Amino acid sequence: MKKNESKIEPKILKGTRDFTPVEMAKRNLVMAKIRKVFEKFGYDAIETPIICPAETILGKYGDEGNRLTYNFDDAGGRRIALPFDLTVPFARFFAANWRELTLPFKRYQIQRVWRAEKPQKGRLREFYQCDIDIIGTRNLTAESEIAAVVVEVFKELGLEFRIKINSRRLMNTVLERFNIPEEKRIGVITIIDKILKIGEEAVIAEIKALGVENPKEILELLKPEKNTKTTLEKFKEYDLKEIEEFFENCENLGISAEYLEFDPSLARGLDYYTGIIYEVVSKDSDFGTICAGGRYDNLCGLFCKEDFSGLGVAFGFERIMLLLEKTGAFKDIQLNSKVLVTIFDEESKKDSLKIYADLIKAGINSEIYFEPEKLGKQMKYADKKRIPFVVIRGSEEIEKEEVTIKFMNSGKQKTIPRTQLTSYLSNYYESKE
Amino acid sequence: MNQKNKKIRIAIQKRGRLQEPSLNFLKNLGLKFKPNGSKLITLCTNANVEILYVRNSDIPQYVKYGVADYGIVGENVLIEKKAKLKIIRRLGFGKCKLIIAVPKKSNIKTINDLSEERIATSYLNTLKQYLKNKKINASTIEINGSVEICPTLNMADAICDITQTGTTLKENNLEIIEKILDSEAVLIESPFTNQNLTPEQWKNIT
Repeated sequence: MKKNESKIEPKILKGTRDFTPVEMAKRNLVMAKIRKVFEKFGYDAIETPIICPAETILGKYGDEGNRLTYNFDDAGGRRIALPFDLTVPFARFFAANWRELTLPFKRYQIQRVWRAEKPQKGRLREFYQCDIDIIGTRNLTAESEIAAVVVEVFKELGLEFRIKINSRRLMNTVLERFNIPEEKRIGVITIIDKILKIGEEAVIAEIKALGVENPKEILELLKPEKNTKTTLEKFKEYDLKEIEEFFENCENLGISAEYLEFDPSLARGLDYYTGIIYEVVSKDSDFGTICAGGRYDNLCGLFCKEDFSGLGVAFGFERIMLLLEKTGAFKDIQLNSKVLVTIFDEESKKDSLKIYADLIKAGINSEIYFEPEKLGKQMKYADKKRIPFVVIRGSEEIEKEEVTIKFMNSGKQKTIPRTQLTSYLSNYYESKE
Repeated sequence: MNQKNKKIRIAIQKRGRLQEPSLNFLKNLGLKFKPNGSKLITLCTNANVEILYVRNSDIPQYVKYGVADYGIVGENVLIEKKAKLKIIRRLGFGKCKLIIAVPKKSNIKTINDLSEERIATSYLNTLKQYLKNKKINASTIEINGSVEICPTLNMADAICDITQTGTTLKENNLEIIEKILDSEAVLIESPFTNQNLTPEQWKNIT
């Protein structure tokens, strides 16, 4: 190719990102922690396709969701949509495969989803969600287990959080008592969901605009009190069996009450919820919701005639990443190599390669510098790649059957018998772990 | 007699420095029993109490599993085994300390010099916890006995071990640079016991 030939600009779409090795190290660390908790509770992984027939995605999330779903015609003239979340693709997967699955079916799914939104801080067009769902039981034990997983994930990540709990069933009963006709209820719920974003006044005005007479009284009743117990008292005249049983299960599962809060105003905008709903907020209120979900009785019914109830939550992976970044969780993030084996000169190369092979065999993440360059240059490489140990085997070390380790973090250097190298590194204890 | 008159089982050291004082402690409670000989379980002649003779380092395990209601064990062992068992009495015997020692001619003078060095120990968990607390990075070597020999063999730069009189350390030209903890024998209670004896009931165990 000629030098002055015009090149393609190496650009990416707005709202999408490239991830560097350092970024990926952080993301993998967090994903591994989340995955570990999912697996601890017995969830198995599945994946579903990225390009989907549009009719399996569109029309499941209400008008707002429809508008935000990526969809286009492919070369064969088929209408294609990209997943807006992982719940609907999962319901479709379940409807297609339930005969082969063991019920109740528990799965986790960590995949990209797409939203045709205007990109802004914390809102991207392409991002990851981490979901767990259970399909095939209506027992509230499942609701409590989901809460236990959520608690464990955020404890594992070291974040301060609170799970707000409500029941869509209770919300509907409340609206019914206020004489709001069924067809208007989801509208009212969607407006209540925006209360933190637009404020109480605006919510009242919007509900009024729907032709509802007493929005103020509704909001007054739904307002959470000091704690779950006093809030529950407000609803004495309502059927609270569902919520009370949920809390009782949670207690027996050892979930500390400090993490759970009954919030009757919690709405969740999505159409498909029918029972207990969850929303997790971090103590740092800048970040909004970091995990949410609930019970959906009729979602699978969109795809098959059998009646399966399900529930689940989605973890907002990108927001969790932003939150962790802010708390300094990635200060000491390392790349994969823990050890760089240097090559002192051509003569000692043979020896360095042997050491490298030993380290790999011992399961120590290592790499070898490819050229017998000046040691300073090899060190610089280690420094740039945040490799903490540099192994040096020069002629003096070879003669004494020793090896020198340079510690890039402290600058210290230590010479030990060659035979002890892999044991030394395997049993090196990093106090910050 | 204990309330429910159910058998109480107490685990003590089968062999070693804690055995005799442990037996004396039980005798002082008024319990009567014959020497165990090679038997591992002995029933007291005047109370429904069974003495279980097991390895020192296994005592926390028996108590944790609930097969022994109580155990007499060195606190150092309890900490090393990370057994979160309830200590109901400190017994005042079997005193020792867990220390870090280095050869007299070593360049290591304080604990801050320990970073990146090799430390041999039979108390790996306790050592790691200590290193964590002090924010020291070092390489550890787990050795089950005669740790004091490691520096001479150029296997370790320091050791972390228990000492009572310091004689062994002196004989090996080692000097203490840090005490990690003081230990003595303790009476521990199983989380699964249904005995939960009060101090008063311990006094009237027979």
